[in-house]
Amino acid sequence: MSEYLYVGKSIPRTIETDKVTGRAIYIDDLKRPGMLYGKILYSKYAHAKIKNIDKSKAEKLPGVRAILTGYDIPDVRVGFIKDQTVLKKDVVRQFRDEVAAVAAISPEIAEEALGLIKVEYEVLPTVFDPVEAMKEGAPLVHEVDARGRPLKSNILPLPWKFYAGDIETGRKASAYTVKDSVSTTWVNQCCMGPSGCVAEFDMNNNLTLYDQTNVIHLGKQRIMEYFAQIGLKGKKVRVVNAIVGGSFGTKLDTDIYEFICMQLALKTRKPVKILFSREEEFFALPPRQPAIFDIEQGCDKEGRLTFRKCEALLDNGAYTSWGATTPSVMMMPMSSLYRVPNVSFEATCVYTNNIYCQAMRGYGNPQANFAVETSMDTLAEEAGIDPAEFRLINRNQSGDETPQRLKITSCGLEECINSVKEKLDWDKKKKDKKKARGVGMASLIHVAGGARVYMSDGHGIMIKVDQNGCVDVFESGTDQGQGSPTVISQIVAEALGFKPEDISLTMGDTGLSLWDAGTHASRHTFMAGNAAIRCCEKVKKQILDMAVQYMPKLIKGGFKRKKRKDPDFVQPDLDYSLISNPEDMDIRDRMVFPKSDPDHPYFKMDVREIVRSGLHVGVGDSRVVVAEEFYDPPTEMLDREMKGNLSMTYAFGTTGVEVEVDEETGEVTILKLIAAHDVGKAINPTLLLGQVYGAVYTGVGYGLTEEIKVVNGRVMNPNFRDYKMLTAKDVIPITPVVVEPGDEAGPFGAKGIGEPGLVPTAPAIANAIYDAIGVRITDLPITPEKILTALNDKQ
Amino acid sequence: MIDYDYKKPESLKEVFSLLKEYGPKATLIAGGTDVMVKIRNTKKAPEVLISLRGLKDLRYIRKNNGYHIGALTTHRMLEQSDLVQTELSALHDGASEVGSVQIRNVATVGGNICNAAPSADTSGPLLALDATVVLEGPEGRRSVPIADFFTGTYRTVRKADEVLIEFQIPAETESFGSAYWKHSRRKAMELPLLGISVALKLSENKEISDARISLTVAAPTPIRAYKAEEFLKGKPLDDDVLREAGKIASSRDCCSLRDSLRCAAWYREKIIQVFVPRMARLAAERIRN
Ligand SMILES: Cc1cc2nc3c(=O)[nH]c(=O)nc-3n(C[C@H](O)[C@H](O)[C@H](O)COP(=O)(O)OP(=O)(O)OC[C@H]3O[C@@H](n4cnc5c(N)ncnc54)[C@H](O)[C@@H]3O)c2cc1C
Repeated sequence: MSEYLYVGKSIPRTIETDKVTGRAIYIDDLKRPGMLYGKILYSKYAHAKIKNIDKSKAEKLPGVRAILTGYDIPDVRVGFIKDQTVLKKDVVRQFRDEVAAVAAISPEIAEEALGLIKVEYEVLPTVFDPVEAMKEGAPLVHEVDARGRPLKSNILPLPWKFYAGDIETGRKASAYTVKDSVSTTWVNQCCMGPSGCVAEFDMNNNLTLYDQTNVIHLGKQRIMEYFAQIGLKGKKVRVVNAIVGGSFGTKLDTDIYEFICMQLALKTRKPVKILFSREEEFFALPPRQPAIFDIEQGCDKEGRLTFRKCEALLDNGAYTSWGATTPSVMMMPMSSLYRVPNVSFEATCVYTNNIYCQAMRGYGNPQANFAVETSMDTLAEEAGIDPAEFRLINRNQSGDETPQRLKITSCGLEECINSVKEKLDWDKKKKDKKKARGVGMASLIHVAGGARVYMSDGHGIMIKVDQNGCVDVFESGTDQGQGSPTVISQIVAEALGFKPEDISLTMGDTGLSLWDAGTHASRHTFMAGNAAIRCCEKVKKQILDMAVQYMPKLIKGGFKRKKRKDPDFVQPDLDYSLISNPEDMDIRDRMVFPKSDPDHPYFKMDVREIVRSGLHVGVGDSRVVVAEEFYDPPTEMLDREMKGNLSMTYAFGTTGVEVEVDEETGEVTILKLIAAHDVGKAINPTLLLGQVYGAVYTGVGYGLTEEIKVVNGRVMNPNFRDYKMLTAKDVIPITPVVVEPGDEAGPFGAKGIGEPGLVPTAPAIANAIYDAIGVRITDLPITPEKILTALNDKQ
Repeated sequence: MIDYDYKKPESLKEVFSLLKEYGPKATLIAGGTDVMVKIRNTKKAPEVLISLRGLKDLRYIRKNNGYHIGALTTHRMLEQSDLVQTELSALHDGASEVGSVQIRNVATVGGNICNAAPSADTSGPLLALDATVVLEGPEGRRSVPIADFFTGTYRTVRKADEVLIEFQIPAETESFGSAYWKHSRRKAMELPLLGISVALKLSENKEISDARISLTVAAPTPIRAYKAEEFLKGKPLDDDVLREAGKIASSRDCCSLRDSLRCAAWYREKIIQVFVPRMARLAAERIRN
């Protein structure tokens, strides 16, 4: 009976037919009665005083319904450390600063009105280089902090520090040490669907926000806090997801445009939509956090790591969103990727007049992984050990507790490294090296069983079964395209004993859900899956209670009817005690049956017959089948030392790459890419591979082509022509390897797999390039120009 | 609101009378893949778009006393033509690299050339194949060698009341081999950082008897690298010769490379030096006997 009917099967996605036929309602398609369109006027300078804003001409434009500046709305600070206002009225600190906003009856009129708003600026000195910004005398990006106290430096009051063991002890135990400096740049999340929302207030100023957030409940929380400060305390807020065209981190913060949209809706008393253009998507949304690392590692004669010391510098941009918190995730690979006893990691975030950053798939992990895996390669070489062997020596293992106190309950890293070796024919390629060809690898660790960054990392779910046998699941997460409605349906079908097609999912609505910390950190399948399994037990119990009550009646009634038709029918002598105790019964594939005799010729009954008979039965006995469950895993918040087991389980994986480098042009061709991932258990292999392929593509872009070009604070390539996201034609020959050790804590053994594929891809490519041509590029992306320059310098 | 009128005449005569009627207020539109992008980017539209898509008889690829390609021929038609692939290989290389299949299905070779972007993917091949541009206006037809067609970035000798009708490629091209390399950072939806086309002919003793080299994104317009062509004539097809030709082609004698956000001039120079030889080799391989 242990064989699964639906878990582990590549069941096709459900709602995607609506997407590919254009029926799905994205924010772009959403229209509310009387809706207006909002547009935002951005700054013309990277740093300037606003001397005057004249909106008189724009206000006269027919069709304009409202124009707001910082003078028209409460002067309330928002954001992670409350270092900005919704509309800026005194100073602009970056090109994307929102200076004014228009609501009009059409997007075109709103756009035209923007052009009629006159803003006078007085240019202020700028600073764009985080190293320069730290120096004394550098222009200050902020004169005062959130509480109005004067600031003396651009360094953020967010000193990220992690220490374990003792670096000096590690150094003394080292036979070999290496130092490397690496850097990464801004990349865009590149969601297919641009950002946007529709804000709508009722006559009592209660808000419904049609939105794309992947943290509906936290988003609601932020709005409630904002409301409390703008005179809307106690007003009701409902956040509802439209169909979302990708998020990849962009929907984790409540962005300024959302607050602007609410203000325009308040002012006009009409629903207002703001929808970003692709250009805005590139220059007015926070991208991935760039970082500069100085990393030092050592190992003993046997190749065992002795210490790892790293300092990171983050260009925070002009304001603070989640980008500044990426060091909290960087600590995980820094402390816990491979066994390393002594660790020191410090990160400094510095204000500049550049764009600011937030979350992107993998959070800080891809950046930190590039540092660690570059250093792993240089140290292996220093120690004269094959890089794959070196990683095997230091691999994490089940049962480990890392210096960050992460408890590694299951770990498929060894298998991942070995399968990469085998699939790349590693040893042979290393031995018979061909000119300009090389192999490289990199591994990762990531949270895969939730991530306790809030006091509650739980997921609430409600499941009801109606008299038709329809199962409605109200879960608290969101679907941004990852396919959760399909995966959670499979889990519910399996756990409840129904078929996937019986199950409807409602997601992304604060009014119809309990609490969930968000569909981020690769946590949704793990959290919602676990909550669903536990909730299904309760629902199943209710159905089985009903079954023991009604099954004997139904069976006997059937016999009576048979007898009426066929007088010769002899009622069999049955042992009804088999179906008298709910504990002895089970449901599978819509059939209710006694566990002791699953194929009993009479005691096997369609569950729909039971709910049809048992739910609506007159006064007193009618009932509903419904249960709720809240799964909050027994994990730990990081303590003051940034230690604690914040996830129930961790994902591991290894990417191996074979490249060929054209030494005349500097071009890199990926001949083979092996992505081996410990996923616990693949609930839906096709969807899982979708996650891996997509993440690998983005990882290759991160490694080779993608880069937001920011010159003096301005985004110079805000379009897909000049931002080099890879296309379907850039075929990357990916061979996925799915390692399924199963994890006790996971739903049917599953771990999270949303982010891992991206993380080790760029460093694996960099390491393969080094193997091919003997030059190491330490600054992403690895462009042909950088390769040629490095080859030139080598000669 | 971006608003415009749209006319779809069925004959050239009608096109001319519409052009006369609306004058500078009108813009011709073929596949629209440049025109529509420009309207969106500048948020400005002409009063009238005069579509050429009704001129069905301007879509053809013919071999008859040389090669004739109608202005309305799509890149996809060029890509799928065996004749173009085997006898006008550089043009096949160029057309197959435009944007994506969806773009190639509507975008025309006439539009590509009339738009006159310094990066146009069919411009280099047509230069190397020594094409002639045939224009027709109310006063009649005239022919312009493509090397004289471009007068600046997005500027050509075409008069406002003229329509590009066809491209003619000389019959002698049959004995040439040709190739085009689009150097770019990814494999689709991409403008070239640099485009290199080479067409050449070998004599019986395997010397280069004739050669044409063209470059795109190497100057304000697509250009021929005449000095490098001169150098090749009468020389053997060997590494040293080709390397030198690449050097000459990348020098100021032939082009004026610029630093831009997309690419540094030194890298463009390098790419010319690498790909003039590589394309010359490929062109030579493609010569049919
Ligand atoms: C997503 C995308 C990707 C692209 N990728 C590439 C690429 O890889 N390489 C490349 O070279 N280009 C590319 N382009 C540009 C464009 O597709 C080409 O230049 C195309 O060939 C233009 O042809 P069209 O028929 O669409 O021209 P249109 O846009 O209709 O017209 C272009 C110009 O030519 C004029 N015109 C058109 N036909 C005639 C005629 N017969 N007589 C007189 N004037 C005429 C028009 O008035 C207009 O000024 C891309 C465009 C897009 C939108």
